[in-house]
Formats: sequence, C-alpha cells, structure tokens
Amino acid sequence: MTRKRGLLFRWRRFGIGRSVLLGLFLLFVLFPFYWVAVTSIKPSSDYLAMPPVWFPAHPTIVHYVAALFAYRGLAGLLNSLIVAVATTVASVALGTCMGYSMVRFGTGGRDLAFWVLSQRFLPPIAVVLPIFLLYRSFGLYDTRFGLVLIYTVMTLPLSVWMMYAYFRQVPRALEEAALVDGCGWWGAFWRIAVPLAVPAIIAAAAFAFIGVWTEFFFALNLTSRHAFTLPTVFRSFLSFQGAQYGESSALAVISLVPSIVLGMLVQKHLVRGLTLGAVRG
Amino acid sequence: MSGGIGAHGLATRAARRDGRALLATWSEQHIKWLLVAPAIVLILAITVYPLGYSVWVAFVNFDFLIPGHAFVGLGNFAAVLGDPVALHSVVVTAIFTVADVGIEFVLGLALALALEKTFRGRGVLMAIFVVPLFIAPVIVGQFWSLLLQRPFGPMDYILSVILRHPVTISWLTEFPWDFIGIILADVWQWTSFILVILLAGLAGIASELHEAAAIDGAGGWQNFRFITLPQLVPMILLAVTFRLLGAVNLFDTIFMMTGGGPGTSTYTTAYYLYQTGFQQFHLSQATAGSWLFLILVSVAIFLLVRRLLKVEEA
Repeated sequence: MTRKRGLLFRWRRFGIGRSVLLGLFLLFVLFPFYWVAVTSIKPSSDYLAMPPVWFPAHPTIVHYVAALFAYRGLAGLLNSLIVAVATTVASVALGTCMGYSMVRFGTGGRDLAFWVLSQRFLPPIAVVLPIFLLYRSFGLYDTRFGLVLIYTVMTLPLSVWMMYAYFRQVPRALEEAALVDGCGWWGAFWRIAVPLAVPAIIAAAAFAFIGVWTEFFFALNLTSRHAFTLPTVFRSFLSFQGAQYGESSALAVISLVPSIVLGMLVQKHLVRGLTLGAVRG
Repeated sequence: MSGGIGAHGLATRAARRDGRALLATWSEQHIKWLLVAPAIVLILAITVYPLGYSVWVAFVNFDFLIPGHAFVGLGNFAAVLGDPVALHSVVVTAIFTVADVGIEFVLGLALALALEKTFRGRGVLMAIFVVPLFIAPVIVGQFWSLLLQRPFGPMDYILSVILRHPVTISWLTEFPWDFIGIILADVWQWTSFILVILLAGLAGIASELHEAAAIDGAGGWQNFRFITLPQLVPMILLAVTFRLLGAVNLFDTIFMMTGGGPGTSTYTTAYYLYQTGFQQFHLSQATAGSWLFLILVSVAIFLLVRRLLKVEEA
C-alpha cells in the first residue's frame, strides 16, 4: 500500500518537473518570435514605452515598406532567392551524380568519401581569405555566380551524403533490368535511379536551400553593393545613430518565412540532415 | 570528333556518327569518373586551390597597406602569435565554446529525457523546438539584440517584474552580461540540435533493456545511470563534437550583438581574423592566423569524419 503511494508520488513529481521544463523551454523558444513579430508592426512612438507595449494599439506596416525599399531589403531578397535556387540545383545535381557513382561503382572508396565529408567542417574563416583573393583576381568578387560557386561547395557534402545513403537502399536489380534492356549505365542512372530518388532529392534540396538562405559570413566578405544577400542587409541596422527596431524586425520576419516552411518540410529527414546520416532518424 | 572539314556532306555526317558512337562508348566506360568529376573539380577549384595559394600568402608580405610581396618566412605567424588580441580571442572562443556546448548538452539531454515517452502534443512541441535550427544565425543575433538592447529590449523589465526590484543591465556592453547575452542566443538556437540527436539515440535503445532492469528492481535513476547513459554515449559524443565544430566558428551573433566590443573583449578567433584580414587589410597575417586555427580544429574534424564514415559503412 505504502509502496504504491510512493510510486505514484514519484511519478507525479517526475511529471511536474517534466511539464515545468518543457513549458519553460517552450516559452524561451517562442518569446523572441513574439517580440520580433510585435516589434515589426509597432509604431515608432511605442518603442520606448515603459512597461513595454505588448501589442500595439495601432499596428502598422510602414517598417516592412521601409525595410524592403529604403534599406534595399527587396534587392537582398531577390539576390538571396536567385543564389539559393541556383545553388540548390547545382548542389543536388552534382550530389546525385557523385552519390550514385560512389554507391554503384565504389568510386574513390573511403578516401574520396573522407575528403568530401571533411569539406563540411572546414572553418569558413580558414578558406574565406584565399577565396576572396581568388575572386578578386578572377572578377568573381561581388557576383552572384561567385556566391553560387562557394555555396555549392559548402552544401555539397550534405547533398552527396543524403543521396549516397538513399542509393544504397535502391536494389541493384532494378538497374540491371534496364541494362539488359540495352539502356546502358547512363540510361539506368537517368531513367531508373534518379526518378526513384526524387524524395531524397527533395530533402537534399531543402537542406541546401536553407543552408544558403541562412549563410552570412561568405556573403559578408565576398559581396558588397551588387550581389549582397538578405542576411547581409542586417548590417545596415547596426549603426548606432538611429534605432531601426521596426525595420530590422520586419526584415527578420520576411526572412523567417522560407526557413520555417522548409523546416517543416524536412522534419522527417531532420536527423539525417543535421548529422550527415550518422544517426538514423 | 569530326572537325567538319570534309567537303562531302555525307562523309562528314558518317564521321560525326562514328564520333558520337565512340563518345557514347567512351562515356559508358568511364561513367563512374564522369559522374564524380564535376563535383571534384569544383571542390578543387573553390577550396583546395585557394588553400594552396594561401600557403604562399602566409609566408610573404601580402598587406594592402604595405606594397610588394617579399618573402617574410615565419614573420606572419610570429605577428599573430605576438598579438595579445589574438591570444585573447582564443581564450574568448574557448569560453564561449565550453559554455555554449555545455549548457546546450545539459539542457538538450534533459529535454530529450522529458520527451522520450510519447504524449499528446509531443509532435507539436518538437515542431516548435526545432524552428531555431533553420534560422540564420545573424537573425538570431538580431533577435537577441532586440530583446536585450537598452532601453528598447524588454529583458530588464521582465527581470524587474520577476525579481521585484529595478534591474538595469546593459546586456550588450557590460561584462559579464555581454558574454551571457551571446551565450543565451547560441543556446536558444542550438539546444534543439542536441535534443534531436539524443532523442533519436534514446529511441534506438532497446526497451527490453529497461524492462530487464525494472525486473531486477532498478529505480529511475539507476535505470538512467546504468542503462540509458552508457547506451547513449556514442550519440552524445557525436552531438557534442558536431556542436564543438560549430561553436568554434562563432561569428554571426558576435557581429550583430556586440561587434566584438566593448573594445576587443568579445573577439572570437573568427571575429579577430575577420577584423585583421577584412577591416585592417593585414591579409597575410590573417591568413597565417587562419592556418593556425585550421590546424587547431583539424584534429576534431578528423576524428568526427572518421566516425561518420564508420557509421555509414556499418
């Protein structure tokens, strides 16, 4: 009898602790989103009110207009979109080819796999200076093409790895049937393996897009007035002369949309995407 | 291929057809290398070639303020190692890395254990928790400066209400609050990374082990200490190494929240090298410094990549 109550008591205590932990963390995660969203529609006169204005009486969209046009947010947004889409296509195409070759033909063996994977962990600061010098001498500095090149290399390890893991599960027999039908390896690859791999290709593409969309460091150092991407626009809010709280919040909200949508899309592949497949989720 | 020199159209066409057939056979034979070649060429061109070039840069004078490229031997390396700001930045990076990853690990593990068993709303909670992982770190920095910045940010007000006496902390300019603010931002973004990996690890532990332990009379803590934890160690190492390699590159949030300041007090190594190379234009000194940095972290990279390969081959 007493033992039973002890168990119940312990369970309840565990339950309460668990709820408090999860509740507090939920608050911690959500509060910044709330504050930025509210700030983005707050009239400037509400900025310094004390206590803070938790929801403005007169919401406004002026900050969105200012962020997009006065602060060149729209140009940054377009550059980001173009660069992210081009990179995603390039990265996934190269990754699919490479992953397939590594699985079907064992190309390069362990050494190639090691080399490609280790690219993922190169500290950006270690490569950005030489790339900067290279880009300046080849006219790639401050071009979208230059950004696409470095971003493709940056996202390639994950693309290769996701496709590699996927092709390993595709039975060889399917392609062998195509070979018997006279397709050749190219036909087997293009007509059998690639269509089968579409789900993995979509997941790899989403990760590549997010990677480019959120990248700041290379964009900061390899672009200036023309090819600047959305994250680099936030530099303009750093000056201490004005307080562009609303404008920076509005731009942050705009930038969040693709991140959140794609994030939802890749939930299923999250573990593989985050760890390059070291954990099967 | 046929050059199209032939005067006779038919011969040209035949030659072209032959050429194409030859090409098809050749490409069929070498498909394995043709498929990997573009990716390899790109990586060689964009990272390997510049890295090789930078070896030269590290040993000569390459400075936008001093003309010429004279050979200076180890001078650039000496300049970095003799720079007190560089050494300070290594210490700062170490502090941030240990604090960030330590807090993220403890919190991530606690959350993973709290989320291990399914309950109503668990899926929704996870979906919300992982959102920060998909946000640009520079925007995370923006988020937290909006929250912490005086007098606009609500943080001091919230603390005043909770503690019932006025709080006036200058989060972004006052030691140690600037450090705490930056750590908060990093913990906010990356705790879920550890959570996701450990949760996958927990799901992989066979439930028979827990059942057997329960039959043997093991309590909750014993169960955790002797079953869960040992089984989880590989995942913990993996998650922590991943985060360590991310945390040593800390730059974006520093850039947005403190700009390395006040003074140079929140310079991380990445921020120091950026300042030296791109703001002061001591390119060769910064390059020498980034080589030293790369060598420092390459041990961790090597170990992690080797482990990743082992898992994939298993």
